[in-house]
Amino acid sequence: MMRCRRATRWMVTALDGELPARRRRALDGHVARCPACRHEMATTAAVLQGVGGLATSSEVPGRLEQATFRRVRLLAAAEAERAATRAWWMRLRLPALGFATAVVATVAVGLMRGSGDRPLAPRPGDGGRRVVAQAPTKDKPPLVASRERGGPQATATVPAEPPPELAAAPELFVDLPLLRNMEKLEHFETIRTTTLDDGEEQSNG
Amino acid sequence: MATVHADEPAPESAERPREAPAESAPDAGSGFAAAAADPDVALMLRCQSGEEAAFQDLFRKFSPRVLQFARRFVGSEARAEEVTQDVFVQVFRFRHRYRPQSRFSTWLYTIATNLCLNEVRRPERHLRVDLWNRRDGEERPEGPPLPDPAAVTPEEGAAARQLGQRLEALVAELPPKQRAALLLSRVDGLAYRDVAEALGSTEGAVKALLFRATQTLKRGLRDYL
Repeated sequence: MMRCRRATRWMVTALDGELPARRRRALDGHVARCPACRHEMATTAAVLQGVGGLATSSEVPGRLEQATFRRVRLLAAAEAERAATRAWWMRLRLPALGFATAVVATVAVGLMRGSGDRPLAPRPGDGGRRVVAQAPTKDKPPLVASRERGGPQATATVPAEPPPELAAAPELFVDLPLLRNMEKLEHFETIRTTTLDDGEEQSNG
Repeated sequence: MATVHADEPAPESAERPREAPAESAPDAGSGFAAAAADPDVALMLRCQSGEEAAFQDLFRKFSPRVLQFARRFVGSEARAEEVTQDVFVQVFRFRHRYRPQSRFSTWLYTIATNLCLNEVRRPERHLRVDLWNRRDGEERPEGPPLPDPAAVTPEEGAAARQLGQRLEALVAELPPKQRAALLLSRVDGLAYRDVAEALGSTEGAVKALLFRATQTLKRGLRDYL
């Protein structure tokens, strides 16, 4: 059985036609039995009817209309100008991006060159690509020459002959610890050319 | 003094004629269907494509209602006109955000409500409201008095006019959100769903706002009931 408090809360919604049908029936049943709620319902209806009778519109002065249209025209003109500026800039965007990319790539290549790459061991089957690194001297920084484009990795083959400046001064490498201990590296060649696959073949074979 | 006979059964006319709640259509082609069904949506779509005449038609159709709505939130006629102008400038500026799935009036009143509530919250306005509080024998210190939109014709009598003025004053004293909910629902005829959308709230909250507003009005009109 509905209580008066709930009925009172539902009255505005019911009078606005927004109360679900089931609840509206329950409310109507309660109002029919309860004189206090019947009075409350009528009071609420009268108040809402009075509010509904308030003016919904008023005359708009001509100056308001003209002022609004003027502001909107200015706004539209500003939007059109921004759109034109943006279009001009967008036309240059792709070429500018390409130019920026080229600059970044050039700087990156320059930095990599300046870091002094060492000669890389040749890979089997990578014929034709070689990087020759000259040993740094007092006067010259290390150079990397003959690097072919397009290859992601630079491979190199060991030249058969040393560079002329080294051949003219063989005593440069006499004191290097590596050269002094070279005879200890008797298995160097084997270590250098052995792969994991070779090891499996030997164990299986 | 006009009285309202509370012992009579609730009149059928208390149920307001209201706009049907906006239908939300999920498919992409519903914009065209909505435009076909609602001429305001069609005007707004034309406005989005850059037609100045469509915007002007929308302004002429809705500005009287928006101006009346704004008047009930601000303290002066001049400021009400400024708010109205701001509303339609916002409509134009953000026209591309409008989606035809919702009713144009709902979207318009969302903008209007936000601007009016912002206006109420302005600290300068609190000072102006104090100036507007008329004391006995004092003239209004600034601007022309608000016209009395609830004033009835002379044929309807002074009592009814007094009731209307009292009601208008009580509505003006309501908290802003209650006032907005009541005006949108009862004066502008928006469905609860659309009122909730305009207020950025829920239907349940709208019902609560309306209940509290009505209770306040009933207490204020006790002498007339």
